[in-house]
Amino acid sequence: MNAVLIREPYRLPAGLLAALVHALFFSLLYFSFSWQSQPAASMSVELWDSIPQLKNAAPLPAPPPPAERVEMPPPKPVVTPQTKPDIVMPDKKKPEAKPVAVPQKARVQPAQSSILERQLALEEAARAEQAAATGRVVDEYTAKIIARIRSRIVMPPGVPDEARAEFRVTLLPGGEVLNVRLVKSSGFRVYDDAVERAIIKAQPLPLPSDSAMFNRFREMKLGFRPKEEG
Amino acid sequence: MEVTQDLSFIHLISNASVLVQLVMGLLLLVSLMSWWFIFIKMFAVRAEIRMTSRFEEKFWGNSDLTQLYKQAAAAKPGQVGALERIFAAGFLEFAKLKKQQGVVNAAVMDGVRRAMRATYQREMDQLESHLSFLATVGSVSPYVGLFGTVWGIMNAFRGLANVGQATLAHVAPGIAEALVATAMGLFAAIPAVVAYNRYAHQIDRLSSRFDSFTEEFSNVLQQQA
Repeated sequence: MNAVLIREPYRLPAGLLAALVHALFFSLLYFSFSWQSQPAASMSVELWDSIPQLKNAAPLPAPPPPAERVEMPPPKPVVTPQTKPDIVMPDKKKPEAKPVAVPQKARVQPAQSSILERQLALEEAARAEQAAATGRVVDEYTAKIIARIRSRIVMPPGVPDEARAEFRVTLLPGGEVLNVRLVKSSGFRVYDDAVERAIIKAQPLPLPSDSAMFNRFREMKLGFRPKEEG
Repeated sequence: MEVTQDLSFIHLISNASVLVQLVMGLLLLVSLMSWWFIFIKMFAVRAEIRMTSRFEEKFWGNSDLTQLYKQAAAAKPGQVGALERIFAAGFLEFAKLKKQQGVVNAAVMDGVRRAMRATYQREMDQLESHLSFLATVGSVSPYVGLFGTVWGIMNAFRGLANVGQATLAHVAPGIAEALVATAMGLFAAIPAVVAYNRYAHQIDRLSSRFDSFTEEFSNVLQQQA
């Protein structure tokens, strides 16, 4: 081939053009072909046959508007003691008696103590609210966990509705089940086994994203009946 | 096999299995060579057609054969076409045989024809060189690419067997990688086939032009003999 090629007068330009064609082709491929196949942010949907009951949702009204009351009291008691009871009254039952017993003396003190009390009350309310919120989350996730396990129970035949199996489940922070222990048998071995399998199968169990809450879920006692009550 | 989210062209090639990469490399080489030959032939055939037309014009416009021969013999190799070389070979043979005594006219013409024939063959061989390569590339490289693709897809499915839950996302990158081989095979084949057909046709036409010139030139010489 070489002997023939030597006589070819256009070797170099042809070689350059061939290289150019390939460079063009590959750059075209390179720039037009980089596609991104981001996996659609995996959306996992869980179907609930009943919405978990939020037990504490209702009794939590908006906390009594604290801002107004803190601003109001300080000037008034000092200037006009007569109006004081009005202001103190809505706070607690106790202060009501105070102004009646010693109306003149406690001009300044009741005011201070009432402020203190109000602050205490506010803190208490905040704490109560937080506790309630925590309780709500715990209830919500407990309901979710139970629903998730329940959906995976393969119901054996011939189990009466009132059978109830209780398990003590130990969880790991990721939602994995570390240990399942039967605490109270339903009396039907097949049902106990079915529930235990469902608990294992339901891993990872849903847990609140707040890791501080995990302590509430580390060890749980869960009871299952063939038919959901309520 | 690894499932990548990011399918750039580079990934497709670098993630392919070794055999597929070999096939791709081979096809790239073949494609480079075929394009090289395509351009070489393009220039050569175009120049040949140009020079043939020029010489035909010169030949029919000018009846002084000796002068034409001198020009042809003095020119550098790149400046004369195949037709001019055929003419020179024929005229040289004719002049040689004429000088010898006692050579019959028919024998002179036979010698001239043979000389022109030989040069014609050599020129045609030169013109048609590399065309067979283009034909081979055109017919074989799709199969080579297909082989790489089949192999890559086999690998992709084998990798799929190890994944519990098979989704399209598991197979797609492997198949895309494999298909690159076919794409490259086609990229090498299509221009090669087109170029082969085109050049074969052009060279055919040139060849018939050479043939008719040979006949006509023989007639001219016979008149002079």
